Amino acid sequence: MATDIEKSLLIIVLDINPMQKLIKQVITQVLSSTIVFANAHLMQRSNNILAFMSCHDHGAEFLYPKDDMPGVRQYDGQYEKFSQLEHTVRKQIHKIVGEMPMKHSNETLISGALSMGLCYITRLEREKYAGEKINSRMIVITGSVDSATQYMHYMNIFFTAQKMGIILDVCSLEHELTLLQQGCDLTGGNYLKLPQNNGKPNIPGLLQYLMWIFLPDPAIRSKLVLPPPVKVDYRAACFCHQELIDTGYVCSVCLSIFCKIRPICTTCHTMFKFAVPLAHKPKKRKKAIDMVQ
Amino acid sequence: MADDEMEDEKEYRWESGYEKTWEAIKEDDQGMLEASVADIILKAKRKRQLDRKQGSRLGMMRHMYLILDCSESMTNQDLKPTRFLCSIKLLEDFIEEFFYQNPISQLGVIITRNKRAEKITDLTGNPKKPIKDLQALQQTSFTGEPSLQNSLELALKTLKMLPAHASREILVIMGSLTTCDPGDIGETIQTVKADGIRCSVIGLAAELNVCKILAVNTGGEHGVVLDDKHFKEKLTAHIDPPPAATRLDAALVKMGFPHHALQASTTELSVAVCMCHADQPNENGRYTNPGYLCPQCFSKHCELPVECRSCGLTLVSAPHLARSYHYLFPIQQFQELENQQMQTNCYACQKRFTDVDKKVYNCGKCKKIFCVDCEIFIHESLHTCPGCATNTDLTMQKISNNKST
Ligand SMILES: [Zn+2]
Ligand SMILES: [Zn+2]
Ligand SMILES: [Zn+2]
Ligand SMILES: [Zn+2]
Repeated sequence: MATDIEKSLLIIVLDINPMQKLIKQVITQVLSSTIVFANAHLMQRSNNILAFMSCHDHGAEFLYPKDDMPGVRQYDGQYEKFSQLEHTVRKQIHKIVGEMPMKHSNETLISGALSMGLCYITRLEREKYAGEKINSRMIVITGSVDSATQYMHYMNIFFTAQKMGIILDVCSLEHELTLLQQGCDLTGGNYLKLPQNNGKPNIPGLLQYLMWIFLPDPAIRSKLVLPPPVKVDYRAACFCHQELIDTGYVCSVCLSIFCKIRPICTTCHTMFKFAVPLAHKPKKRKKAIDMVQ
Repeated sequence: MADDEMEDEKEYRWESGYEKTWEAIKEDDQGMLEASVADIILKAKRKRQLDRKQGSRLGMMRHMYLILDCSESMTNQDLKPTRFLCSIKLLEDFIEEFFYQNPISQLGVIITRNKRAEKITDLTGNPKKPIKDLQALQQTSFTGEPSLQNSLELALKTLKMLPAHASREILVIMGSLTTCDPGDIGETIQTVKADGIRCSVIGLAAELNVCKILAVNTGGEHGVVLDDKHFKEKLTAHIDPPPAATRLDAALVKMGFPHHALQASTTELSVAVCMCHADQPNENGRYTNPGYLCPQCFSKHCELPVECRSCGLTLVSAPHLARSYHYLFPIQQFQELENQQMQTNCYACQKRFTDVDKKVYNCGKCKKIFCVDCEIFIHESLHTCPGCATNTDLTMQKISNNKST
């Protein structure tokens, strides 16, 4: 009876958008660190599974595993699975970068990669044997800036992941990412902005951070000394000025947020008959049970 | 009664479809039947999804009272293990899902037995509370007759106090075939109707005329369950918000978006008593960290969403609101296509299409092809099309749209 087979699935999403100032210079270094990190995950237990994705401003794709992976050969006595992973990932990234259109934007489609990742996880969940348990998590490694355009996608992804018990980890190479940070907080994952070294991101230390913070299984993490949790900003951005507010007015029909009282909702065009704050009903302190005889 | 039978037949057509499709069930390569049975279930699921009305105006601040019959009839064993235990189990899932899909809504629980009605959970935005209270009921006894009128009156007392923009609902789970009412229930039904409260009834035994009248008059649904699966289906129908009654007034509601207060941020925060636990006798949990501070009066709460205990401001986190935005911007249905091997893999989950995959699904916007499982997952859970989310033009288009409005 295969009752207690536990598998650990890690999906790595690597941002290879060439518009990132940083990535241009250090892509090889980041890629090498990430591949070593991926192999370390596979090495921990023979049951561990891995998926490697890349994303950029023109899309996102699965690099590993692939249906048509090259045959397994041994290089210098390296474990076949490792060389297969490295070979496949490098070859495909090379191909993707080569085929990229010339026009670029700062907008890396991380949300797209994450949504595909969730579909992939659901498929493995569907295809697993009875008694098998898959613990899934996703890690995003990116040097891009936050993107408010993908806000809706991000929120959908975070809530779905939260519901499915999938952990989202984020390792930001250069910028503070408030949106992805909320995702980490919602799903119980770790968020790390790579510490600076002489004003520059500490890329040579990347591998060490990955191994320390993101490699351990979530079950073990509570026992480790990790960087203190970041203060997550849960304030809302008003729809009218995109400014962060801590009290605001919410349309009761569509839940659009505004910073000032207004006669009409700009999202759903509802006219507000009266614009008053929610009537405050005093709370009963007594614990008596209401009874109707 | 005849009407109802017709209705049940309609409701359950996919089940009868189930029986007739034995011929359609074929063994797969390994001689397994599961694949084709699963296929039939998937089709049924997809149908439910297609039936879902889209774009209707939604009163998303829902306030629902669950009225649960706890009379002797609930010990009946026609649902396994008993009617009551079966209901509790299904209601737990229902409550979780209700709050997941309607994040800023509130739900309360009223039970009725011995001709009385008793409120066991006040309207709350936290799913844990009603679930805990329902589970605690297992220790109590189920006696006497229920009273529909008393329960409705009790729910009415709270619901009619709510502001006009709130949608109000009552969901009755009725196991008994009788109800013991002190007065004219017709009057109560009229009052409920006048207050715009939508009442639905799920009968566990058989149809009660008074329940039918209640549901029909208030625009709710009425049905009798056939088995536990059907019961679940009936409950699921109440998870999506009902199209709000047109008389519902729209309003701007003031809300607070609290910061996360961590121990490290300020020293005085760490000793602040959390308002949700302030009235509990035991000291444990009163000084919990972290918490959320009301931006208006700075009292601390340990969970969101919550109505501030001291100033009454509704406190939510911005992502909580965002969770309902998918009702505003639903993704359109995908087009069903015959699988003609134009794509070898599902765009989202990378599954390789085989001969088993008779149908594939095409997103009209990004033109990507998906398998049936992903199609369902995308529409029922994810609410984001991976194809569209990985398409530069569609993302950029959204920016320009936002700018123009
Ligand atoms: Zn609106
Ligand atoms: Zn307050
Ligand atoms: Zn798929
Ligand atoms: Zn699409």
